[in-house]
Amino acid sequence: MPVTRMQSTGSKSQTMSDRTATVSRLEEVVSTPDEFDQVVLQALPILLDRATASTKRFLRETGQWNDDIEHEKFALRWGSEYLERFLICGRTEVPCRPLFLFDSLVAKQHSKPEPFCYHPDLLRPLGRFLDGLAARAVISRDALIALFHHAYGWGPGEVIAVTGLNGVESQRIYKNFRRWRESGWQRTMDEMGLTKTELAELGNQQQRHRQRFNSEAERLIRVAQAHYRKSEPDHYPCLSRSQWGEMFTQGYGCDYRIWHLALCLDCMQTAWGLGSSGSNVGEKPRLELQVRP
Amino acid sequence: MGQEEDLELYRSRLLESLNSRSSRFPQGVSDPIQVYVNERRVGELEGAGIGAMLQVQCVEHIDTVQLRTEEGVLLGGLAAPEHGFRTDRLRISTDAIELCVHNRAQGGTLSALFIPAPSFWGRAWKSIAEIGDRLVAHRPDTAPAYGMRMVAFTQVLLAIAVVGLVADRVPTWMPPERMPSPVVQTASLPASPPTETARLEQQLTEVARIQAKIGEALASQQNGIVQLHQAMAKLSSNQESMASGVVTVKEEVKEELEKRLEAIGRDADRATRHIASKGRVEQEQLEATIHTLTADNDRLSKEVAGLEEHNQTLKAKLQTTVVSTSKAVDPGPERLLKMADSIQATQQAPFLFWVTFSEGTSQESIDQWVNGMKGHKGVLNEGWQEVRIVPPPVPPDRFLEQIRGDKIIKAARINQ
Ligand SMILES: [Zn+2]
Ligand SMILES: [Zn+2]
Repeated sequence: MPVTRMQSTGSKSQTMSDRTATVSRLEEVVSTPDEFDQVVLQALPILLDRATASTKRFLRETGQWNDDIEHEKFALRWGSEYLERFLICGRTEVPCRPLFLFDSLVAKQHSKPEPFCYHPDLLRPLGRFLDGLAARAVISRDALIALFHHAYGWGPGEVIAVTGLNGVESQRIYKNFRRWRESGWQRTMDEMGLTKTELAELGNQQQRHRQRFNSEAERLIRVAQAHYRKSEPDHYPCLSRSQWGEMFTQGYGCDYRIWHLALCLDCMQTAWGLGSSGSNVGEKPRLELQVRP
Repeated sequence: MGQEEDLELYRSRLLESLNSRSSRFPQGVSDPIQVYVNERRVGELEGAGIGAMLQVQCVEHIDTVQLRTEEGVLLGGLAAPEHGFRTDRLRISTDAIELCVHNRAQGGTLSALFIPAPSFWGRAWKSIAEIGDRLVAHRPDTAPAYGMRMVAFTQVLLAIAVVGLVADRVPTWMPPERMPSPVVQTASLPASPPTETARLEQQLTEVARIQAKIGEALASQQNGIVQLHQAMAKLSSNQESMASGVVTVKEEVKEELEKRLEAIGRDADRATRHIASKGRVEQEQLEATIHTLTADNDRLSKEVAGLEEHNQTLKAKLQTTVVSTSKAVDPGPERLLKMADSIQATQQAPFLFWVTFSEGTSQESIDQWVNGMKGHKGVLNEGWQEVRIVPPPVPPDRFLEQIRGDKIIKAARINQ
């Protein structure tokens, strides 16, 4: 059973010959999606290690590697990201040889201009936390909406007011918040490899040196946002106040507002007060990082 | 050191979450499904919506399509071939999503269609008229002013055509005679005595039934073509190191394939014209055609399988084969869609114009007016209603003059 083998955590308990057999099975042609699933699910540890090694190699070759646990985690994280996409998309590529297909998928990822958001400071706990939030926001609407909370401490009502949403959209925001609190946040922390100790330490720093903590967070979140904004729909660019104003008053660009404002500190300042929060235009919002959901 | 343990723990946690992916699948989808092309979000599909559909046209080639829940769970997706088609049907409990990607030299298109569980269908067909509005409502926000590189759009007529074809290709949960016919639902019947109407309806049902069969046959041809594309792409990809020594592809295999594809094209054309010209169709003849098509398809698939087997030897020259075969193959789905159009409108290119209605005109009389012209409503934009009809017998200007004379019309124009 692949599961038992996996739960006994991986390479050490797996004998060499076992591994060789699995690898050679991966090299053979699979011809149906079911067969693909079966072969690939048995080989998850091998494939994860393979993608991780390849990511490490890429980082080394591009001068972004350092021999420490942060870099190891980074490579692992992206390895597993690639593997997840492979599990879903690979099965539509049958007939194929899974191992070669996987290698080419990883190679394709690494041939993109900026395959991931790499910055040495983003590898430390605070950076990893922010990178994780922004990366997740790209693939999860729950996480996207949660960014408003983590950056400014807002609840659903404030998010709705600030982005000027209508009734139907508002309901979704409440749902997004709820799911994020229930499971989304924890899952994101797990996937970023943030431990309880690290999260507690972040909370401590926040309490003891609030200002320094927030200004460091602002510096890092800008790096992450700039990278992940590239995956916005249609490449939504930053707008001027009058352009934002037009969008708010005419009521279009709902998605634009949500996506871009969540991922752009500057535009949040620019568009401040245009939503139905217009009446309580107080001070412009400042980054006030929240660690907990 | 604790660090190594920490890393090992992280690794096993990632593995665990990869392994338990499938158990995290939602029971059914009520929230919109996020659609990503090349890992960029392009829009969403209304999960609970009936016949919700998203059409995306990209300037770039489409490499991957991914569907995710709002939580970010990857529900499914596909890797698109460099050139040609790929379709995939993704099941989410009892619902399904049909994905179809077509890559061409000038970019790619994706259509994603939500197909609800069978119980939805009764309601679905009743509300097909509303689909238009709904699609418009779900059109992703686009802001044309800001130099976008990807355009997401939906089209009512196209959606209806595709809904029809897809529905016809889903025979498992509904016997064919109960299959609601898109033609009957969307084509408007002229006001006529009840018996006449009944007779017409019967004829239309018959046509729809035959259309379903042709749709199926064409779809399976399409499948053959998709397989062919896939096989070619696989063979030419650099998965294995090149065998030394150039081996020649048997030209006759290539030619034979092309001939056959051409023949398929001709048959499909013939069938289409046949339906278009006559309200009633000689079934045996058509069925015979369909049988030939199907048999052809089987043979094609076998040949594709044969090609697979010999991939080592065939590889060297396949690059060129891919190009020329795809060229021969290309018009397939366009033809499918056109056929659906022609059945609905007995005409290939619809005539498109925009109107606004006089104040206080009820939705009912608008619909009546559109129906009276055997038209379809398109999008509504700042009060202007897009309407598609069979091209009128008079020049466009004259035609506009004529409809401006209608009581409920306030203004009419050709361009948006
Ligand atoms: Zn901005
Ligand atoms: Zn093509």
